[in-house]
Amino acid sequence: MNPSADATAPPARRLRGTIADETAVSSSMRRLDLELEEPVAFQPGQFCMLNLAGERALVFGRPFSLLAASGRRLSLLYKVVGRGTARLRDAGAGAPVTCLTPLGRPFPAPDERPRLLLAGGVGLPPLIAWAERWGRPRDLRCAGGRDGDDLPRGLLGPGWRLSADRPAGEPGGRAVFAGNVVELARSLLPAGAPAHVVLACGPLPLLRAAAGLADERGWDCLVSVEERMGCGYGVCRGCVVPRAGDDGYATACKDGPVFDARALDWARFGGEGAA
Amino acid sequence: MTKLPDWLAFDPRGPLRLGPRTFPGRIWTASGCFGYGLDGADLGTAGGGSPFDGLGAVVTKTVTPQARRGNPPPRLWETAHGALNSIGLENVGLARFADEIVPVLEARGVPFVASLAATRPEEFGDLARRLAAAAAGAAHWHGVELNLSCPNVAEGGVDFGRDPETVERCVAAAREHLAGRALLAKLTPNVGSIARLAAAAARGGADGVTAINTLIGMDVDLRTGEPVLPRRRGGYSGPALLPVALARVDEIVQETGLPVVGVGGVATLEDALKFFAVGAVAVQVGTAQMSDPFAAAAVAAALAAAG
Repeated sequence: MNPSADATAPPARRLRGTIADETAVSSSMRRLDLELEEPVAFQPGQFCMLNLAGERALVFGRPFSLLAASGRRLSLLYKVVGRGTARLRDAGAGAPVTCLTPLGRPFPAPDERPRLLLAGGVGLPPLIAWAERWGRPRDLRCAGGRDGDDLPRGLLGPGWRLSADRPAGEPGGRAVFAGNVVELARSLLPAGAPAHVVLACGPLPLLRAAAGLADERGWDCLVSVEERMGCGYGVCRGCVVPRAGDDGYATACKDGPVFDARALDWARFGGEGAA
Repeated sequence: MTKLPDWLAFDPRGPLRLGPRTFPGRIWTASGCFGYGLDGADLGTAGGGSPFDGLGAVVTKTVTPQARRGNPPPRLWETAHGALNSIGLENVGLARFADEIVPVLEARGVPFVASLAATRPEEFGDLARRLAAAAAGAAHWHGVELNLSCPNVAEGGVDFGRDPETVERCVAAAREHLAGRALLAKLTPNVGSIARLAAAAARGGADGVTAINTLIGMDVDLRTGEPVLPRRRGGYSGPALLPVALARVDEIVQETGLPVVGVGGVATLEDALKFFAVGAVAVQVGTAQMSDPFAAAAVAAALAAAG
């Protein structure tokens, strides 16, 4: 199946704006709201390249999946993982930014088949956005974290099933499955369960396990990959992932970030001298 | 609006005559930093701008005789004020470049310079001959920039562009097939005397030189003690290069008087003016074009608006 080449996804623009709000939404995840110079729209799975204006020590923008857009307000979730995200956290409300968005190929709108949503870590925003726009009762939504406290529960409504590698109690009375998010899905959809189309977004081990589950069941599977990016718009060839069928590469930013799992070479993915 | 300094020896807002060609402007994009000049055409700004507005030329991603799949990831690593890359000359090869990309650039009216790399001097001649034959009628194809210094390709790369005699042979091999196009040699800074390389390029028939290509750089992942790039060392670019590039351009201009297209760390009009101050005839925007597709267009617009 093809990631969406949805004609309704508008072309990307480079917009100026400011940080409107920045707040922790879990033990490890933060929400950033931007106020941009023009209204923005996006399809779930698309991303932005964000630069702090005038920040020359940060050479590249940083890619972030989009969570929500309303008028000129654009929201995303992130984790502080390095210099760029630390600067973003510390920049404060009012800090000027430039934002290139919306970028990349999104998750497509659903057909009649039920979806299995598998989200982990900063892979949550595209699937939260997908569920809010297109989710139906027959779609199964699963979100996984490390200890449960890192799940942004305020953004995950009662329709979401939760898992954690090391559950730390059950705050709010919601059950948290002990294990990873793919193990949660396997427990809910044992062998013989009706076919689902898998939509997965998160770190590579999650994507690999999701693709494995889909392959085993003969289901279609779309994955959204996370890669270090330079440009975000296809010119630098820095964010490549191994393509199936030849020994070449596809770009995460322009050919993806959403790929049919069968279009990627999982044997080479992450194994070629990854740091 | 910046006022153009009165010490400028020429007006950088006008077109540029270089060899047999007249370029529409002096702000270009650097090879490898704006793809083949195709991506980005659909991008806009709130003001309706295009990344191509006002560009004097797009220097394409380097093209080799055969397609190359490039290096395994990770290929990019940001450091403070700079970036390491090890893309490995991933490209579609000359045949697809000539058949599929040149016609689009031509149809869109994008002024372009083809960046070419090979592993032997005679191959530069073959590349030039094939491109000249395929793109004979391309009015927007202004010239060729020979990539003599990409440090990432084990079989050729930096050693080959460090030897003045080899540089001269490469340039001469290409020159033979490029009557009517500007010919530039892009030089490596990873040598003692870059002026000797520039002089060799001139002897081979180059209309000018581009300086500088990336420095060789490296970073280490402290969690593992291993280099961050699988091939250990890569090309270092970005804002940190500006003083190094200025010094190298100054060296070439002072010692040879050749036309130099300056590149290294340029992100603003002020950066570009420093290159013009030391004698560069045009300036390329490289790494900045990756973080902002409108970077070169913004420099060109600021230059055009300067009084």
